[in-house]
Amino acid sequence: MTIDTTLSRRSVLKAGVAAAGVVAMPAYLRAQPAPVKIGILQPVTGALAFDGQQGLIGAEMAIKAINAAGGIKSLGGAKLEMAFGDVRSTPEGGTSEVERLAGENVSAIVGGFASPICLAATQAASRYDLPYIVDVGVSDQIVNRGLKNTFRFAPGFGIVTAQALENLVKINDAAGKPAKTVVLVHEDGLFGSGLAKLLQAELPKRGFEVLDTLSHPTPARDMSNIALQIRAKNPDLVIPSSYYGEFVLLARTMQQQRIKPKGIYAILNGAASNYRFVKEFPEAAENVMDCNHWYDPRNATALAIKKELDAQGKFFTYNVALNYSGVLLLADAIERAASPDRAKIIAALETSTFDKHIMPYGPTKFVNGQNTGAAPVNTQVQKGDIKVIYPDAFADAKAIYPVPA
Amino acid sequence: MSPLRAYGPILLLGAALASMPFFAASNTLLNAMVLALVIALAAQGWNILGGYGGQFSFGHAAFFGMGAYGTALLQTRFGVNAYAAFAAAVALGSAAGLAIGYLSFRSGLRGSYFALVTLAFAEVFRILANAWPFTGGAAGVLIKLDVRAETFQFASRAVYFWIALGLVVAVMLINRSVERSRFGAWLVAIRENEDAAKALGVDTFSVKLKAITLSAAITAISGAFYAQYFLFLDANIAFGPWISVEALLAPIIGGLGTVFGPVIGALGLHFVAEITRAVAGRVPGIDLALYGTLLVVMVAFARDGIIGLLTKARARLFGSRA
Repeated sequence: MTIDTTLSRRSVLKAGVAAAGVVAMPAYLRAQPAPVKIGILQPVTGALAFDGQQGLIGAEMAIKAINAAGGIKSLGGAKLEMAFGDVRSTPEGGTSEVERLAGENVSAIVGGFASPICLAATQAASRYDLPYIVDVGVSDQIVNRGLKNTFRFAPGFGIVTAQALENLVKINDAAGKPAKTVVLVHEDGLFGSGLAKLLQAELPKRGFEVLDTLSHPTPARDMSNIALQIRAKNPDLVIPSSYYGEFVLLARTMQQQRIKPKGIYAILNGAASNYRFVKEFPEAAENVMDCNHWYDPRNATALAIKKELDAQGKFFTYNVALNYSGVLLLADAIERAASPDRAKIIAALETSTFDKHIMPYGPTKFVNGQNTGAAPVNTQVQKGDIKVIYPDAFADAKAIYPVPA
Repeated sequence: MSPLRAYGPILLLGAALASMPFFAASNTLLNAMVLALVIALAAQGWNILGGYGGQFSFGHAAFFGMGAYGTALLQTRFGVNAYAAFAAAVALGSAAGLAIGYLSFRSGLRGSYFALVTLAFAEVFRILANAWPFTGGAAGVLIKLDVRAETFQFASRAVYFWIALGLVVAVMLINRSVERSRFGAWLVAIRENEDAAKALGVDTFSVKLKAITLSAAITAISGAFYAQYFLFLDANIAFGPWISVEALLAPIIGGLGTVFGPVIGALGLHFVAEITRAVAGRVPGIDLALYGTLLVVMVAFARDGIIGLLTKARARLFGSRA
């Protein structure tokens, strides 16, 4: 048997027509590329409604910005289309919304906010190998379960607390070690009690004496008892870890009772890095420090977003910045995957080195789903504004510490 | 009532529902059904004590949580097989029911006092589970994701659905047999007039104790299944007031002291919620608002629940006295 390897004119023509067809197809697609559906999960009703609405603002702004800049270029300028799911502040809500979004053929999901919701939602998404970018959820269990689809862009509990302790020592040392004694105030839920336990063990090793550890429930209606106990102990430093409402209450009560420690150093606090608190209670908020998620104050995009939100009377909280960055991170992965295919997006996320986000992080690098480039920063409320005081690479102000009496 | 008339409709409903995954295989729907069936189970448990026995508990979360934490902790802390842990957790839940029942019925607590005591027990459990390192404190418990039939974890939502449905049907059969038994008659007698029942020689204490134990066991099944399905729980999920409320709403909406009431109530409520969410789309919370309105309407105008409405409608149509 011989194989005819010569090319007839006819076969060349045929191939030419076929090739022309292949070339022409993308041109047709370019005219009307199918949008890429991405799921946004946030708790916009229930106990976490405020945070959820903030997260949604960030995601919507990012999608708008990406589409305005020409969509996903490797897909011929395909637009991102949002499929929104309200998780109603419960893990069950998270699961059922993931099921719905998976049924609507989204390519990936961003969001979740609270740790229990993220735990349930990422697991539900893993059944469909649906890439899931956790926006906030600090519990380290979220990424320690070995779910291949789960990526957390922001720092988790372990990173934040280690960093918070380290930064505290540095800030204190730089000021000539004014603080030696500490009172811990924490909410008795997941993050507050975990954090308090860790601080009780770690602070003495770093030369601080923990005078007392005061816990309170969430929600708490009155913090005067806590404030009185703080006054009785008279610590140099108060370290609160509570949610928004309780910390605002505590700060106001301390202000009313003229309890003035050398510093209030919050960790992952819901209020101390929140413009709403600063705007509504400027005196109570003044000089409070926090170690938390925060946007990069030198990033032009971040400043533009802040300006836009300020003009609308909305607040630029960290949820906005994290969800904005999370959606950008996903868009970058879709761009590089050049496909709305879930497995390809997961592969693209795994090798992501994305650095066009608006957070004070370096390039993204996922190790077991955790972005190891992520880190919290220290902020301080100064003259009615929130400034980054540490680390110096991102700082736009110097720490006011110890706080003048 | 012949056994066929007593048990036939239950089996028929079970068979009809069981065929659902073959027609509507959407996981969204199956997931919603599983959740509704979990609530139905908890509600069926509540219905034994509250519906038949007239002892209104506001704290069935205590039993739900025992079941949930029991199965989760036995697996994660002691490496017990998932099925054995499930059974042990149900036993634990019924033991909690027996203990709470003994303490409160012994002291002669009735009506709102009993309701308050059960509420208090559930809250105490919630606070303990939230603080105790053994239960994982506020971080909760995470059952390891390991999708194998041996670990009671399935890739298909349909399997979970069939198991949940099987449990609900089994409990309906138990409910019916209780209804037809002497024990059931005593229980209803206590609901109607406890003092009269006592005067007629019913050992009210022992009957109530049996009822709360059975009731707690069924609600614990619901909790254990919840844990096995979601693989994560914390104190607010397991012992939180939400499940106490769901467990008593479903029978009240569906029909107190009936076999079908809790199941119809739970499925009905969830479907109304899901449908509104689908219709109303992105208006946040609209489903909750409608849910609330419906509840007010039901409680104001249809005290006997959906089953009561159906019975009345049948009586009017066929002119017979139902």
